[in-house]
Amino acid sequence: MRTNADCVIIGGGVIGAAVAYNLAKGGMTNCVLLESKYLSSGATGRCGGGIRQQWSTEPNAQLAMDSVRIFKTLEEELDTDIEFLQGGYLVLAYTDEDVEQFHKNFELQRRLGLDVEILQPEEIATRVVRQLNTDGVRMATYCPSDASANPFLTTKAYADAAVKLGVEIELFTPVTRILREGNRIVGVETERGIINTPRVVNAAGSHSVLLARTVGVEIPITPYRREILVTEPLERFLDPMIISFSFGIYFRQVKHGSVIGGFAYPDEKPGFNEESSVDFLTMMSHKLSFLMPALKHVKVVRQWAGLYDVTPDAQPIIGETDGVDGLFQASGFSGHGFMIAPKASSLLAQLILGQKPDLDIDRLNVRRFSEGDIDLDHSVV
Amino acid sequence: MRLTRHPILEFDRGREIEFEFDGRKLLGFEGESIAAALHANGVRVLRESIKKKRPRGFFCAIGRCSSCLMTVDGIPNIMTCVTPLKKGMRVETQRGKGSVPLAEPSSAGPPPSETKRGTDEVATIPLAIVGAGPAGLSAAAYAGRMGVETVVIDENDVPGGQLIKQTHMFFGSREHYAQIRGIDIGDKLIANLSDLPAKLMLGTTVLGLYPDRTLSLLTAGRHVRLRAGAVILATGASENMLAFENCDLPGVYGAGAVQTLMNVYGVVPGKRVLMVGAGNIGLIVAYQLLQAGVDVAAVIDAAPEVGGYHVHAAKIRRAGVPILISHTVLRVTGPDRVESAEICRVDDHWQPVPGSETTLSVDTVCLAVGLTPNCELAFQMGCRQTYMPELGGLVAVHGSHLETSIPGVFIAGDASGVEEASTAMIEGRLAGLAAAEWLGTEFDADELTRLRAEAAGSLETLRAGPFGAKAREGKKKMLSSMNEDKADSK
Repeated sequence: MRTNADCVIIGGGVIGAAVAYNLAKGGMTNCVLLESKYLSSGATGRCGGGIRQQWSTEPNAQLAMDSVRIFKTLEEELDTDIEFLQGGYLVLAYTDEDVEQFHKNFELQRRLGLDVEILQPEEIATRVVRQLNTDGVRMATYCPSDASANPFLTTKAYADAAVKLGVEIELFTPVTRILREGNRIVGVETERGIINTPRVVNAAGSHSVLLARTVGVEIPITPYRREILVTEPLERFLDPMIISFSFGIYFRQVKHGSVIGGFAYPDEKPGFNEESSVDFLTMMSHKLSFLMPALKHVKVVRQWAGLYDVTPDAQPIIGETDGVDGLFQASGFSGHGFMIAPKASSLLAQLILGQKPDLDIDRLNVRRFSEGDIDLDHSVV
Repeated sequence: MRLTRHPILEFDRGREIEFEFDGRKLLGFEGESIAAALHANGVRVLRESIKKKRPRGFFCAIGRCSSCLMTVDGIPNIMTCVTPLKKGMRVETQRGKGSVPLAEPSSAGPPPSETKRGTDEVATIPLAIVGAGPAGLSAAAYAGRMGVETVVIDENDVPGGQLIKQTHMFFGSREHYAQIRGIDIGDKLIANLSDLPAKLMLGTTVLGLYPDRTLSLLTAGRHVRLRAGAVILATGASENMLAFENCDLPGVYGAGAVQTLMNVYGVVPGKRVLMVGAGNIGLIVAYQLLQAGVDVAAVIDAAPEVGGYHVHAAKIRRAGVPILISHTVLRVTGPDRVESAEICRVDDHWQPVPGSETTLSVDTVCLAVGLTPNCELAFQMGCRQTYMPELGGLVAVHGSHLETSIPGVFIAGDASGVEEASTAMIEGRLAGLAAAEWLGTEFDADELTRLRAEAAGSLETLRAGPFGAKAREGKKKMLSSMNEDKADSK
């Protein structure tokens, strides 16, 4: 393991791997990425792999749209298959609040140039998906350029490309604390020794809170368990991701053919619990077979859980930490880190490299929470 | 081909019925497995593999390996080796991954209730035992003797586990059911439960085991939950595959699958068989094949000596079947089913000896190359696991009372390490006693101590001698692993 680095990235999820790659691509190749287990072992490897641009706040929507632009050529850039597919996202509205919010979202997203459209329930079968039960659906929005990809392959692709450029990746290397002298970062202490570095990227998802605390920094991230399941593979029948905030569901068919999906319990207690529950299995089966009755014959092969690292406004924390030079935060992605990883990581790398980010990310700095001016994103599943 | 006469078994087949296979009308018997009915009609290819489009038949015949998935009545991925045949069934060779039936009427019913936890009903039981084989049934009997109310869950419609196909007599002393055929031991174990507070829940699959010892069950097409005070996992083992050229060709079957086909359904696996593995299972099944009138070309084993009892080996040698030690199977050939098998000698380093190849004309290759414990439920629950080759692979770490690293969860029989039905029964008894003790049910403590000592003594006897060496060694290592854990947690 290197003992001196220009930057140490903590966390081997898609964010950490993508930041490492973008730093190396920008010329900072003496970087070390530390991961306590294996690549994608945290939230990245547990997520649904959706890439949605239909968000209700401008930063989230902009980050997602720019990320899709990067995703489109990422396989070429990283020279490997990541199962990227622009199958679209169909978002279902069931309540008055949904309808009102969807119209607002539609306005914002169109203003940003997104190819989103409003569909009436009867248009869904002919335009998007035939097997969907639209009972109770008031309207829907559909964005054909929304996409999906394989989170494991994407993270590995970024990591492999980073290593090729000179980055060192150390797996099964838990960080015990970040080292600080006065108002600047000086290193990282791991279970396998110390790395001296002036820069640390804290990309450890929900665990970022604990790491930040080792240098006396509080970041407002709360971990919430989110459960998910996957079925046996089937021949391709479903291109878009189908989601609904009020009904509470998201699901898609992955390239291999399995249907993967989940929902969030509104009363889920915060904490680091990653256990699977039989409640989820039952409820998810009900929901899936209600929305797509044909799926009631399909077997669930696996269920698991992961942690959303939720911030008060459901938007990520990206940027340098006031008062601690060299401590960069890249967490709090609130359940949508995978889909905005390409752009978020590129912007953070620009910041670390001393370049001017090509999109204003100052408003994603952690200081926004102490300034008290937050803009909650409503489009979270 | 169906067996009509057998020296030991009488086949009580159900009603003869008509069903459809790829548009053809075929006859089968109601209640037998779809795969058995097809086999009896000469159909060996059940599906095409997903990527390479290779023909596939069944392999394990007990619902473990997923090699037999077909489309039945329009629904893909049906495990035909364990799905009972019904009149008028429409069975199709499955090509690819299978498609969702599109023409599903939108009889979706009301939308699911509010997204809230704990809305489903949960039944409770002091002790749930998963698996109604020798270990599970024995556990129920001994827990029952301690006054514990028990439900024994099994995915099969018939209790007894793998005993239901074992036509041979057991060895040992009377307390281990020696001189009785496996098929009759199962009946005795069930009879043992008659006056006890034990209930059988058959045709029920345990889908999952959750942290608060809640079992998620699929029974009669419905999903139900059961919360248990204690759980005993007596889930048995799965047959091992052997890697050689074309080993996925229909006609390459597990030894247990051949027993199921032949001894449960009365369907012979083929005309001429190569048996791979000269341990007790290989030798016994080779003899059973001879009893059913099937020609056995040879029994081969890569080891330099016969692994099974000499009395079994002698029986098949007397029948003129060669037992070739230091031999392995190189490949099988055939367009969509086995037509021949090439075998050869292996040297001291298990490597094929060039020039020693022989081709046997056989239509079936039977693999008796060991078993792997079925530990999925234990691992899903988070029981600590360890790799123990002597016990068949990954096993849940357990102590001498069959307790796992999770309080209230016990494991017994082949699931705790592959041995034999006799040891499985004794382990079941010990697990039953331990569960009763853990539950704190009111019982006669002296009686428990006496029964426990008796069982421990039996295990020692059964594992004595050269044939028990592996299990002895494995269980010893297991115990020290468990004790280390206990020391760590102090």
